[in-house]
Amino acid sequence: MIKIDGLTKKYPGGKGIDNLSFTVDPGEVFGFLGPNGAGKTTTLRILMGFIHPDRGIARIKGRDTIEERTALKSLVGYLPGELHFFEHLSGRDLLRLIMGMHGGDRELKQKCDSLIQRFDLDIGQKIHKMSKGMKQKLGIIAAFMLNAEVLLLDEPTSGLDPLMQKTFIELIQEEQERGTTILMSSHQFPEIEKTCQRVAIIRDGNLLTVADIGSLNRMKCQIFDIRAENEKAAAFLRQSKLPIVHQNGLWFNVAISGDLSVLWQILSQTRISEFHQRPLELEDTFMQYYR
Amino acid sequence: MFLSWPFFKAMFKEQRSSLLKISGGFILYETLLSWVYPAIAKTPAVGEIVDTIPSTVKTVFGVSPDARTDTFEAFFSSQFLARIWTLIMAAYGITTANALLAKLIDNGSLALPLSAPLSRSQLLATQAALLFVNNAVLIGVTFGGVYGSTRFFKIKIDKTAYFKLSLLSLSFFSAVSSYAFLFATLGSKEKSLAYSYGVTALFYGLDVIAGLWDKLNWAESLSLFHLLKPQDVLEGTVKPASAIIGLAASAAALLEIAGWVFEKRDLPL
Repeated sequence: MIKIDGLTKKYPGGKGIDNLSFTVDPGEVFGFLGPNGAGKTTTLRILMGFIHPDRGIARIKGRDTIEERTALKSLVGYLPGELHFFEHLSGRDLLRLIMGMHGGDRELKQKCDSLIQRFDLDIGQKIHKMSKGMKQKLGIIAAFMLNAEVLLLDEPTSGLDPLMQKTFIELIQEEQERGTTILMSSHQFPEIEKTCQRVAIIRDGNLLTVADIGSLNRMKCQIFDIRAENEKAAAFLRQSKLPIVHQNGLWFNVAISGDLSVLWQILSQTRISEFHQRPLELEDTFMQYYR
Repeated sequence: MFLSWPFFKAMFKEQRSSLLKISGGFILYETLLSWVYPAIAKTPAVGEIVDTIPSTVKTVFGVSPDARTDTFEAFFSSQFLARIWTLIMAAYGITTANALLAKLIDNGSLALPLSAPLSRSQLLATQAALLFVNNAVLIGVTFGGVYGSTRFFKIKIDKTAYFKLSLLSLSFFSAVSSYAFLFATLGSKEKSLAYSYGVTALFYGLDVIAGLWDKLNWAESLSLFHLLKPQDVLEGTVKPASAIIGLAASAAALLEIAGWVFEKRDLPL
């Protein structure tokens, strides 16, 4: 449904994306992860036809997202990462505007009303008086009410409270049952874990991996917090082959996937004063890619 | 359809309050001028004082050196139409074009309308149509205000001449708005405003300089403002038809270029 092939976009500052390639299957919920500035929003903007790539192709349903951007908008719902609306309008006016621009049939109105109720949003309020969370709900309603075949969501739960995050996850699951293809960038690992079949992880504009959630779960690494007894022991740990992800004074944060014998072997050669194993989270696996 | 009616309505709602405020200001000022004119017209000393003003100074106030000074048209043009009104209308066109495009690109508000099946050219055409309609409303209010206030204070005017001037004004401010739209498609809201005001100030400066020094008369033809001389149109010494057509064609051409630039540009939405 979505195909990105060799997509490259460089900004004057040096950031952007470099030779990005992946596909999203029809009906799939696909997570798009990476630290801030990794290139997630740039990719989504090219898919929306807002910016032109230097090289490469992005297609939705086989149609070029730049050449056929206007026609494609009938198939796509978009939630931008930074939400800015027409501030003097009320939520109701904005939703009416979007419905009107998309044809404004009765089905849209019904879906819109049900989403308003579900997200418990006061749409009579002027947008400039709305909180960030309320604006986010408005953006979600605006994107989901369209019954689009493809949803492109940039940080969709940013600013939502935990209850609304749960509602959002249920909504994604319902859309998935309806057969909607969803590409979603997020930093919310629980929501990615609960909703996505596969994830792409990018850093500094480069694709690090595309993996299904199941295999990432199997790759879950083990995280250890280790405190060296003194500076000499700390120096030894620094020079060792331990996969240190963070160091603060005598404290070392080590992430190991698979065989732990290397860890025991190194620790047996020096002196440590404290040793803790952290509960494992999928987030920790992602973090390996983020760093 | 080439324009988006739902978007037009929503954006009109956004712009409505500034339109109302400016309209109210125009009507109040016109009423004031029409109220004081009969008293001034009855005082011959005022006409004598005006006659003693050097032609260069008259030029600065947008009055042609050889124009009459004893008519309502002369009074109304020098006190309002020739400079104050023209500059307010030009500033409104520039500021509104900036608010309708460059500002919305900068703050990301265009993401939602451009997520609908609406091309960038359609969006630009809708915004331009909105600004032209707003210009027409302000021009209508201005000349409607003149009709109303002169009727109330029993001042005779040539309504046809005012109608011709309103058509010329519409073409003129459509051209100003169009180059403001073109600049709005090129860069940030700050740059867009700076370029639009810069070009307008240049045109205005050329118009004034040309009137101050005979040797620099040629500079007037480089200025857009030489096409809008309210007093000359109202007194019938200038036929505005060719200027109306030329300015309207320029506005259309500038918008066509703006549409082409806008389609090619990267939008950080």
